[in-house]
Amino acid sequence: MYADAMEKGVVFNVQKYSVHDGPGIRTIVFLKGCPLRCRWCSNPESQHIAPDIAWNDTLCIGCRSCVQACPQKALSLSAQGIAKKHELCTGCRSCVRACPADAMFLYGGESRVKDILDDVEKDSLFYARSGGGLTLSGGEPMFQPRFALALLREAKERHIHRAMESCAFCSEETFLEAAGLLNYLLVDIKTLDEEKHRHFTGQSNSCILSNIRAAHRAFPDLPIHVRTPVIPGVNDTEKDIAAIAAFAREAGAQAYELLAYHKMGQSKYRFLGKEYPMGDAALDEKNFKSLQALAASVMPVSPAMPS
Amino acid sequence: MSCCCALSTQEKILQDKAAGKENPNRAKHQRLFDILETFDGMAPIIDADRALLFTRSMKETEGQPLNLRWAKALMNIARNIPVHIDDRQLLAGRCGTTGRYGILYPELDGDFMADALDSLAEAKTAAPISVSPEVAAIVRNEITPYWKGKTFHEDLNRSLPPEVHRLAYNDELGIKTRFVVSENASYRSSQQWVLDYAKVIDRGFASIKAEAEEKLAALDPLSPMDTLKKRPFLEAVIITCDAIVLWAHRHADLARSMAETEKDPVRRQELLDIAERCLRVPEFPARNFREAVQAQWFAQMFSRLEQRTGTIISNGRMDQYFYRLYKQDVEAGVLTDDDVLELLDCMWVGMAQFTDISLSPGGLATQEGYAHWEAVTIGGQTRDGKDATNELSYLILKSRQASPMPYPDLATRIHSRSPQRFLWEIAETIKVGQGYPKLFNDEEIIPLHLAKGAPLGDIFDYTASGCAEIRMPNRDTMTSSCGQVNLGAALEMVLRNGRMKKYGDEIIGLETGDPRSFSGWEEFWQAYLKQQEHLLAASYVEQCVIHHTRARHFAGPLASCLHDLCMASCMDLHTDEKIPGGIDLGFVDIIGFATLVDSLSAVKKCVYEDKSVTMDELIRALDDDFEGHEALRLRLTRAPRFGNNDMYADSIGLAVDRTAQEYCHKYAPETGLHIDIRTVSVTANVPHGKEVGALPCGRKAWMPFSDGSSPAQGADLNGPTQSIISNYNTKNWDYNERAARLLNIKFSPKCLEGDSGTEKLVSFIRVFCDLKLWHLQFNVINRETLLAAQEDPKRYRNLIIRIAGYSAYFTELSRDLQNDLISRTEQTSI
Repeated sequence: MYADAMEKGVVFNVQKYSVHDGPGIRTIVFLKGCPLRCRWCSNPESQHIAPDIAWNDTLCIGCRSCVQACPQKALSLSAQGIAKKHELCTGCRSCVRACPADAMFLYGGESRVKDILDDVEKDSLFYARSGGGLTLSGGEPMFQPRFALALLREAKERHIHRAMESCAFCSEETFLEAAGLLNYLLVDIKTLDEEKHRHFTGQSNSCILSNIRAAHRAFPDLPIHVRTPVIPGVNDTEKDIAAIAAFAREAGAQAYELLAYHKMGQSKYRFLGKEYPMGDAALDEKNFKSLQALAASVMPVSPAMPS
Repeated sequence: MSCCCALSTQEKILQDKAAGKENPNRAKHQRLFDILETFDGMAPIIDADRALLFTRSMKETEGQPLNLRWAKALMNIARNIPVHIDDRQLLAGRCGTTGRYGILYPELDGDFMADALDSLAEAKTAAPISVSPEVAAIVRNEITPYWKGKTFHEDLNRSLPPEVHRLAYNDELGIKTRFVVSENASYRSSQQWVLDYAKVIDRGFASIKAEAEEKLAALDPLSPMDTLKKRPFLEAVIITCDAIVLWAHRHADLARSMAETEKDPVRRQELLDIAERCLRVPEFPARNFREAVQAQWFAQMFSRLEQRTGTIISNGRMDQYFYRLYKQDVEAGVLTDDDVLELLDCMWVGMAQFTDISLSPGGLATQEGYAHWEAVTIGGQTRDGKDATNELSYLILKSRQASPMPYPDLATRIHSRSPQRFLWEIAETIKVGQGYPKLFNDEEIIPLHLAKGAPLGDIFDYTASGCAEIRMPNRDTMTSSCGQVNLGAALEMVLRNGRMKKYGDEIIGLETGDPRSFSGWEEFWQAYLKQQEHLLAASYVEQCVIHHTRARHFAGPLASCLHDLCMASCMDLHTDEKIPGGIDLGFVDIIGFATLVDSLSAVKKCVYEDKSVTMDELIRALDDDFEGHEALRLRLTRAPRFGNNDMYADSIGLAVDRTAQEYCHKYAPETGLHIDIRTVSVTANVPHGKEVGALPCGRKAWMPFSDGSSPAQGADLNGPTQSIISNYNTKNWDYNERAARLLNIKFSPKCLEGDSGTEKLVSFIRVFCDLKLWHLQFNVINRETLLAAQEDPKRYRNLIIRIAGYSAYFTELSRDLQNDLISRTEQTSI
């Protein structure tokens, strides 16, 4: 539909040849903005819906083009590199345009559904051969419901296989509308303990759990793949994992997978001028393996493939 | 290792080895590991026996027809060269001394061989060789004096017009290569080639000899051409058939005498069996699988004694020509799959001991790391267009999965109906991380060669040969080695008005004017095309001279007697005349394709469209090798680049490819040869890069170019899918002057992990097939492993890596090439 194709939203990355998020070879479209503030978030650039200006110290050649270009005089070159007075920045991007080294750059930009899907469609041969397609991710795709739903409707129109990676924190109505357009749903559950959930993510988990149940009731054929990022000191206990696994099975999920905590997002905190909230926390590999075994005893790690 | 990292099988085995654990494949491949241990990590020993016996015979036969002289030289070698059978080996036949070894071809480089050996023996290279004082003395006192003034390269050096000579060599003697329009022909007597092994196995040399004798008897004694041309050809065939049979019988004698003193009854019986097989083959048809393997082995080893074939004689379609006897023996219950694996191991380990020694600086630079890749081909289609995959295809894959050596190279033919199991096993072999198999795409190669004039049955039956090329062993007739055109140099000569930074004021290309005065992109592009055509024209002159000069220097009676068309016409495969019914598939290489495309894209975008850089600023920055111009350099690298499915860059690549093919289309007919455009650099992207200063894509002076038709190092940032679609975008489907295109992709082991990773790699290969790309190969390795191997080469001595159409030990490569491999984009996924 024309209206869907012209719908605009904020996207911060398009990742081709993604092989870990849904069946086959996929392209992930990352939508910006998230209602949760998970302390271990590996995509800090995804949290705010507005574009974020960032500075990569390793690419910077110290030419000061950005300092000179900023009309707000928000930037200066200090001993620690480029310093930004956040309160002065209007997000005008003059510094990004001026930087020759891609050291000043922007996370996120406004895109049209049409342009995003034209890009996604470039890999249609790979989807056809592998059973892959589009995966919406974020941030939280449901944080931009109009845009996410338009993407899904238009992708359906183009016969692109559709998956979504979501935390399920949104209104039931929106979630079910999306679920009706999906071929595959990946959903994150951090913990069943509501207090702990609130403490570490800033939100209650009650609508998350009820949305997952509702999606399965409304669309019993939709494969639901539950995942838990195992975070040291948060949910790396048998009790947490066993509870989530039991919930996933009871809620009608087809697969339950544990993802190991990693620090690959750490440098992005630096680029954004933010403190890394997890410090030196590290996952005990042996413990993780035994949790994986526990989860696998309840449910398969990936859904049985249609033969 | 954190749980975010994954290791390839090879990396895992190397890690375990460092921890003192045994290679898990050893138990099943005991014989392979035992023999491998006798030469693993050894510097190859130079053996001069072949060169000496060849020279002595050639001295005595001066004035006679060349093919007859060659056959007599082969006979002298067969009769007198020492024969060996290795402990534990089940196959007889080697071209030289025991251990890891190399042999010499004085007909190529005899005039400077003594000096070259001295300097190679002293050189501190990553790939050292061992030359004993006795060998050095024989070469200096007996071999070099005879060949002075008689070698091919000296003749070529005299015959090239000066304006072409200047582009090919830096010295008057034509020994030091100038990699602008470099040639490959002076350090090999033949381009890559494949023998018709089926003929050896199913007919044997007695039958070929009988055919030659019959033809000889039927010659018209009154015909001067029969007397001058056909008779010597046929006599040469008869002598050569006798020579290889004599050589085999000497191995039979040796095996029998070794059996007499052998104490171990099991080994004694093995030796007696070897003796029996050597008496039977290759003289007569093989009666069983074991004899077939021995017959093939004798043929390929004797062919190495005959001539230096580029990249070493390839193995052809092994799963096809061995299949009949494999099936017969398995059904009769006299052969198990384990027996087959053991015999294959014996072949592989024999190939691994032979190294292809280059003495010329050009040969050393373009084929690094003792490069030889006697490709074994599996899969594909039968002569009548059905899927050809069989049990042997799977056994060969299994065998190469377990083998810790880069030899032989493995080529797999893929088509639209290749079984899923075949692709799965290929993917699993790729995941071992040793760089093979490479993939050849029937869906491109077959229709293209029909357009080039191949008969359907012959092209259905094609085999991989050498790096990324193919052969129809009874239809191909062109064996001249290709020239290599430096695309980066062509561009530099636009920017410097016909000159190159490295050579100062010397005018090397055309003076196309000061680019600062160009009115716009179109004028720049036209100037580039003039430089490109100028170099292509030089390479055409070079190829023609090479082709006609070779016929005066080389003959190949063994290769010729196994070729239907040569036997029918009584013409040697090295002839420069047209062999009736033959198809010639000659080509020249273009080197630095993506580096050029990215540079043209940067000029078009930054100088002429965005006007963010002036031509003057650009030229000054290039002059300074970007010192003090880092901001400008980075701006240039942000222009669209090849390998990202971006039509801005890809359309430039398409135009470069098309204009090169248009040149061929226009000028090849008058040469009487096919000289198409191949995009395979082997390791020439390193020496070609060393000729050229900084380029507008942001590449610094003297750094390697991009390899083959792969994206430039670090330029393909949108993932492997976009990288291979760009390759598709830059192909001119309506021109048949295109030839092989080599494409490298580097994956991190993480994104191929587990069965789901294998499954996705299989899908990726299916798309490669759908896109009708010619060739694809993979490195599956962590960057950290390569860096660690540079730090601690001893520990990583067995680390195998893909280079350009072959795999080699990483630590035997030059630092430049190692760095090139590290800088290639690693495709990961999150």
